[in-house]
Amino acid sequence: MSAKILLVEDDDTTADFVSKGLTEEGYVVDRAANGRDGLFHATDGSYDCIVLDRMLPGMDGMAVLAALRASQIETPVIILSALGSPEDRVKGLTGGSDDYLVKPFAFAELLARIKLLIRRGTSAPAVQTVLSCGDLSMDLLARRVTRAGKTIELQPREFRLLEYMLRHAEQVVTRTMLLEGVWDYHFDPGTNVIDVHLSRLRKKVDEGFASPLLHTVRGAGYRLGVEP
Amino acid sequence: MVRGQVFAGAAASAEVLRQDLLTVRQDSGDAALADTVAQRVTRNLTPGTVLLLADAAGRPIAGNLSAWPPNVATDAHAGAVELYRIGRPLPEAMWVRATALPGGRRLLTGSVVEGERRAVRVLEAAMLFALSLAVAFAALASWLAARMIVLRLETTVATLGAVRDGDLSRRVPADATGDAFADLAGSVNAMLDRVEALVVELKIATDGLAHDLKSPLTRLRSALERAAVVVTEPAALEAVDRALAEGERLLALVETALRITRAEAGIGTESFTAVDLGGELEDIAEIYGPVAEDAGRDIRVAAASGVVLAVHRELLGQALGNLVDNALKYGAGTITLALTTAPGMVTVSVADRGDGIAPHDREAALRRFGRLDSARSGTGAGLGLSLVAAVARLHGGAVRLGDAAPGLVVAIDLPV
Repeated sequence: MSAKILLVEDDDTTADFVSKGLTEEGYVVDRAANGRDGLFHATDGSYDCIVLDRMLPGMDGMAVLAALRASQIETPVIILSALGSPEDRVKGLTGGSDDYLVKPFAFAELLARIKLLIRRGTSAPAVQTVLSCGDLSMDLLARRVTRAGKTIELQPREFRLLEYMLRHAEQVVTRTMLLEGVWDYHFDPGTNVIDVHLSRLRKKVDEGFASPLLHTVRGAGYRLGVEP
Repeated sequence: MVRGQVFAGAAASAEVLRQDLLTVRQDSGDAALADTVAQRVTRNLTPGTVLLLADAAGRPIAGNLSAWPPNVATDAHAGAVELYRIGRPLPEAMWVRATALPGGRRLLTGSVVEGERRAVRVLEAAMLFALSLAVAFAALASWLAARMIVLRLETTVATLGAVRDGDLSRRVPADATGDAFADLAGSVNAMLDRVEALVVELKIATDGLAHDLKSPLTRLRSALERAAVVVTEPAALEAVDRALAEGERLLALVETALRITRAEAGIGTESFTAVDLGGELEDIAEIYGPVAEDAGRDIRVAAASGVVLAVHRELLGQALGNLVDNALKYGAGTITLALTTAPGMVTVSVADRGDGIAPHDREAALRRFGRLDSARSGTGAGLGLSLVAAVARLHGGAVRLGDAAPGLVVAIDLPV
């Protein structure tokens, strides 16, 4: 069964764009154009993920979120907002949302984050000691990485980067997600800083092997996976 | 001064006596003078009178001194001396005047000032005592007054301190006394109301601006992303990519400008968290390390360990990132991230080994959009250093541009 997503967004153009994209990805999308309708839909609790705009007519997105959490509905919520200051993000996350995406956003980034939330919601993450993708395997205890039986020497930062990619294998990971996930930073590093990290990692992980595992996703970021 | 007046008084009464006696002599001759002197001394003596009529050799003829004093010249001498009068057990201070009479006799007229002198001495002692007492009282009074002023101002100062540290809602507690301090408190509160209103307005304005600018940018981005899916022609794809990149740059610019404005207004102090600054520098060095290596450069960290300070981690990270980015773009050689401590102060700095910035250009470099002409050819909008300065001010600190000999060092001083 395909996952159901509730999209609460008052800007029609953005809502059209997002719902079209999500539908193409195989999701069932319900739409609400204001906070009250959004809350009404959300309270039946049948959604796998809610995409919630923050500035809404009628009832503010944060109020919708507070009302949801107050009535014990724990559906994962990702907030979409034009308010991008660190304080706004902290307020959104402490207000009960599971993720916070600042407008304007790339659709691929939204998709990547939605997938992450839905997966987190369905499978309780067991304590893993080995992460793998194809013939690449990472032993978290021995801090050892091998591909096709050959050991790959990684620097600590490369190890953490690859660990993050492996934990999100087969998903699109954006540059901001990497900066957040690996260094817990949320700022604009300016130059192509993250790309250089990835290209170094790619050299060690993919060079000399038959098929590449690290793929660049146009306009979005990166994906670690067997499929090209 | 009092002493001078005492002697002036004695001199005046001695002068009156002398004139009297000289008149007697002129009118009635030397014998009458001798009689008068004897009479004055024995009968009509005014207390304190000093009189001596002596012959040419200084032997006394009449008067209440036993001999002509050796330290008084025979003629035209006037001044203060100390002498024994006949029948007195102790020497007394007196003011005397010697007059040479025609025929060789000499007359000494004078007036004792001993009593007055004692009084003066007592008076002086009393005055000294009074003076020290007055000084002590004045010191006590001024200390009390200062104490009172400090006590009355304490709440105002504390309030202003809290506001400076970011708590804009603080006000000076109401004061019913109605004096100048209450007036001051009222004015301070009115000013704080105004400041708070302005900051709130600024926050609303920047939030509105963010929202109004970002909504069309979101749509632009959606449209371009949709286009990227549909078009297949390489030239069109490249155009879409370029448009996306320009949109990103525009957004980054707006974001940075908003961050500066908010930091300058002191918005964000509530997000301060205790951060190990040395670890922070290591992180920044790690993030930029590969880019630096690709450019043939090197990033080094020279940090004192265990320095923990409450900072806005994200903004400080952005500031340090901007500095490293600048050093990569405009500097040369090894980039050093340093952390030093001084009493009451922690300094984080980013230095390179390039050409540096000339001292007269440094102020312009810190100004918003004030990119130096030599850097105009690059990308970036010159907001980098302004953000650094705004972030430093948000932390109550300041930014210094200095000479790394050679190269530029940008130091952020953070008060502890």
